[in-house]
Amino acid sequence: MAARFLTEAERRAAPEGRQAALDLARRAPALIVAAKQIAASLVHGVHGRRRAGLGETFWQYRQFMSGEAAQRVDWRRSARDDRLYVREREWEAAHTVWIWMDLSPSMAFVSDLAQQSKVERALVLGLACADLLVRGGERVGLLGLTRARASRDIVEHLAEALLHARGADGDLPPAQPVGPRERCLLISDFLVAPDALAERLAALTGRGATGHLLTVADPIEESFPFSGHVEFLDSDSPQIMRAARAQDWRQAYAQRLATHRAAIAETARAHGLNVAMHRTDRPASEALLALRTRLEEAA
Amino acid sequence: MGLPLAFLAPWALAGLVVLPLVWLIVRITPPRPQRIPFPPFRLMRDLAPKDETPARTPPWLIALRLAIAALAVLAMAGPIWNPPPAGVGAGPLLVLMDDGWPTASSWDKRVAYAAGAMEGAARRGAPVAFAAASTPRALALSDAAAALEQLRALKPQAYLPQRAALLDQARAFLGQHKDAHVLWLADGLEANGARDFATALANAAGGLDIVTDDRAPRALAGAQNEAGALSVRVLRMGPGGAQHGVVRAYDRKGLSLADAPFDFGAANETKARIELPVELRNEVSRLDIAGERSAGAVSLIDDRWKRRTVGVVSGASADVSQPLLAPNYYVVKAIAPFADVRQPRIDAVDPIGQLLDDHVNVLVLADLGLAPGETRERLEKYLQDGGVIVRFAGTRLAASDDDLTPVRLRRGGRVLGGALSWETPKKLAPFDKASPFFGLATPDEATVSRQVLAEPEPGLPSRTWAQLADSTPLVTAERRGRGLLVLFHMTADTTWSNLPLSGLFPEMLRRIVDMAGQNVAAPDALSGAGEESRARAQTLAPQKLLDGFGALGSPSATAKPIAADYAGAGDAAHPPGYYGAPDALMAVNALAPDATLTSADFSGLKAQRLALEAAEPIDLRAPLLALAFALFVIDAFASLWLGGALPRLSRRAATSAIVIACGALLLVAPRDAHAQKAPQAAPAQTQKAQPTRRDIEAALTTRLAYVVTGDARADAASKAGLETLSRVLAQRTSLQPGAPVGVDPARDELVFYPLIYWPIVASRPQPPREAALKIAAFMKQGGTVVFDTRDAQSARANGAATPEQRWLRQLLEGVDIPGLEPVPRDHVVTKTFYLIDEFYGRTTTGRTWIEALPPETPGEANRPARAGDGVSPIIIVSNDLAAAWASDANGEPMYPLEPGGARQRELALRGGVNLVMYTLTGNYKADQVHVRDLLQRLGH
Repeated sequence: MAARFLTEAERRAAPEGRQAALDLARRAPALIVAAKQIAASLVHGVHGRRRAGLGETFWQYRQFMSGEAAQRVDWRRSARDDRLYVREREWEAAHTVWIWMDLSPSMAFVSDLAQQSKVERALVLGLACADLLVRGGERVGLLGLTRARASRDIVEHLAEALLHARGADGDLPPAQPVGPRERCLLISDFLVAPDALAERLAALTGRGATGHLLTVADPIEESFPFSGHVEFLDSDSPQIMRAARAQDWRQAYAQRLATHRAAIAETARAHGLNVAMHRTDRPASEALLALRTRLEEAA
Repeated sequence: MGLPLAFLAPWALAGLVVLPLVWLIVRITPPRPQRIPFPPFRLMRDLAPKDETPARTPPWLIALRLAIAALAVLAMAGPIWNPPPAGVGAGPLLVLMDDGWPTASSWDKRVAYAAGAMEGAARRGAPVAFAAASTPRALALSDAAAALEQLRALKPQAYLPQRAALLDQARAFLGQHKDAHVLWLADGLEANGARDFATALANAAGGLDIVTDDRAPRALAGAQNEAGALSVRVLRMGPGGAQHGVVRAYDRKGLSLADAPFDFGAANETKARIELPVELRNEVSRLDIAGERSAGAVSLIDDRWKRRTVGVVSGASADVSQPLLAPNYYVVKAIAPFADVRQPRIDAVDPIGQLLDDHVNVLVLADLGLAPGETRERLEKYLQDGGVIVRFAGTRLAASDDDLTPVRLRRGGRVLGGALSWETPKKLAPFDKASPFFGLATPDEATVSRQVLAEPEPGLPSRTWAQLADSTPLVTAERRGRGLLVLFHMTADTTWSNLPLSGLFPEMLRRIVDMAGQNVAAPDALSGAGEESRARAQTLAPQKLLDGFGALGSPSATAKPIAADYAGAGDAAHPPGYYGAPDALMAVNALAPDATLTSADFSGLKAQRLALEAAEPIDLRAPLLALAFALFVIDAFASLWLGGALPRLSRRAATSAIVIACGALLLVAPRDAHAQKAPQAAPAQTQKAQPTRRDIEAALTTRLAYVVTGDARADAASKAGLETLSRVLAQRTSLQPGAPVGVDPARDELVFYPLIYWPIVASRPQPPREAALKIAAFMKQGGTVVFDTRDAQSARANGAATPEQRWLRQLLEGVDIPGLEPVPRDHVVTKTFYLIDEFYGRTTTGRTWIEALPPETPGEANRPARAGDGVSPIIIVSNDLAAAWASDANGEPMYPLEPGGARQRELALRGGVNLVMYTLTGNYKADQVHVRDLLQRLGH
């Protein structure tokens, strides 16, 4: 079973150094294109608020009330009878969605069963979501990195921000509070202690935000297809664990993984976040479709 | 005997005891584990290892590594396959060597083996004694160096030496040295009591090693010139050695005449038949087995093997319907098995003359009366020149007045005839000792009922070869000049005697025919000069003798002359070879005609038998190390694979790695020694290969040629000029030349071109010397070279030589050039097609030189044309002919002329046509001038 961490250059998707930034920039177009392609396969429309407000779609006519600015009178309608009417449009307000992609070393991993490394898949999904949401009229920002905005070139914008980001490769989302009725999308492998995650989620959702939590996993992390004499290397530390007969560990590992996933899911739900699962041997569009559905539901 | 394996450093084998240690170490150090990065590492961090024992090294990997270690240890011990023989015991070593012809083919190996044994003895400090079968002498111990010297000086003999003297010496030696060990390099033949010799040695010596060669020698014996083919028996001692082979026949000059293959099959004897025309067969003087270097594989052939041609003429009119009654029927039948019979054509006008024209060796005249005349004189001359005439009596001979007989016959009806005068037909008396028929048995049933009688006269008994029981001569003979005249006093058919029906008759004829062509040393031998003197006269001194390897050389000092009737195999006193006078050699061969080769049986003897072939030791170190290295490479790959690194390599990389490993293995593996003996084709032979396509075309079409000088302008002018000239020739003459070609005299074959045009460019380097030599050969073969110096404008009469002239002189230095003269006005070259005065070219002032004609004879003073015997091989012009000829495809001239004009161009072309016609027709036009005289003469 072959698996590897991405090399230093490959894995610095959100790098600290300049060289790494350039390297990501070199790969960014490919990721951006992939993200846009996937996003284009899904259509997300601007959705009305079912009330009058700022918008483009006609909502109703109402009688002019004195004190209003005269320029708001709809003279065409008012010319029909003796009263003055004001034309109201439906309020079309954009949601704000904050996206966080885990760029930590543990994400920089690909096995030969996977189509893409976890970090690349996370980037593709995150950027594709951003594109999709902006085209749907929402505002999107990177959690802790950018402001939320709704420009057409959001993907490029976000990718650029990632390039310039520093110190963003922690394996936990930043503890930045998110405003009420805003949503957040957290993409990571969530191989972190549930307690630490709970602490951050509490900070994130303290003002009433909701959101989604997408776990990206490599297939061999789930199936544990090892046997014989195997040395396991850690991604974050130089530790080595030697298994004389790796096949003996499979059972215990599967149990641990299930427990961990359950703990993460529990933590997320406790803070009002949905939990979804994506494996890198599946196509990215599959995860994106699921994400979109959930985002719409939440809306 | 066990494996023929020995170790140079056996103590190194002690290293094998560490193998268990290696096993232990390898066992507890498993291959590097698979390293797998695993992000969910922290999930398992507290997953306490239940079984800390590492996976054990796979057994096959242990075996592999142990094998590598064992191979290394073995290689260090210096193993040798087929080790050189180790001496036995500490006593002196007695080396006895057979050196007859059977040992010649493996002589080098035998010497090497004996030398190895002696050196082994020297290493042990044992003294050595050495003797060969052909030169037994008192055996004495010496150090190995002296014995080696004797050994190296020894050469194989062409005969089979007797071992009796050697045995005596060996016994004497072994009597003194009881502890001596005997090494006998036997030839393997039972001949001369090999087993008895071995038995005696085994009884006398402390230990006996008999070394024989597995490759049994092959030999030739009993060559016979049969009807249609020369056959020879090919012998071998037993299976082993080459199964097939080729017998090759050589003539007296050593040229190979023919090959005949043979195949032993399961037998130890086979026959090779060399099928050649009888004339060529009689030229054969030596047969040998190709590739077998020994005197036994050579069969020398002398005149006795020559197949004679016998002409048979009968006086009776040919009656083809009753062949059994024809007088020559029995003679032909009797002679045909051992000689070629020629009979005159039925309608021959002069049958005897015809046969004499055929140069028959023996002429049989069956009942033919010879009248004096031309035929008679020719027969006399034939006799004087060494021919043999065998006459048979009969009614015609009895009736005619014929004195071409060895003895005077009673004539005029005084022939005793018929059964009336004798009670019983007479039987033959046993042959006299002086008679050539001596030794043949006279059958009782052969009787003679009629005969012609000889006149009793003084010399009669000495001329009588056979007589009847009542002492009347039946066969008489007389030498006349160098020839022999034999008369049978009876008919060749059965009318007078039934002798022609008996087996004796062919034998008698055979002996007579065998005498044909033999230049007998003493012409009076038959005239009863005494047995002793005859034997002395017939002693033949050795002329050329075979050495053991089958090569002819000068006779050794010990070789003794042989008697003329020596009929046996060669021995020590009479080694095989040629004896006698150079023009009448007698061959003695190493094997008797009926010899067989029997292998000696050494079984049951108290002796160790060793094989000669096994003497080649093979050092096994290199192969072992190579194998260890290969296993090491495999181990490295296996470790990589076990460590999980291999799958990451692409499939191609893995394949190429395996290919490289195999290639390295092949490189390291020891080469077969034969691989270095790549067949070396004789390069000179193969180079003289097929003629080139260009040569073939040049040979098929007559074409002009020019020499490519390397100067582009001159070459272009030559090409265009000759093309135009060829076109003009095709238009105006019956010659249709092919397209002209440029030649390089140093490289191209010139013989196909009648005329070669060579413009001189002084700025070009001289061609190589071969070019001048080839040009010289070309001129000698009848070709003509036209050198064009193109310097008419710069040359001054009697002035300094121009650069072109100097260049030409340098080129022709050493070439045999005939004397030259300016073309005289009556030279045939000015008349061959056009009547011209000068050879014009681009210029008109240059002179043309041609081979000087012989001085004018008074008779041809007013002839219009003169010519030498042949065509001048060299013509030197200086007017730049080719430039004047040259015109382009439209016929437009290419170069300006000096002084110019169409007339000059036309004259130049006419000169060219004349030159070509001159080279092709020679002096034919000069002969044409005689036509008027000839016609006049014919008119009268």
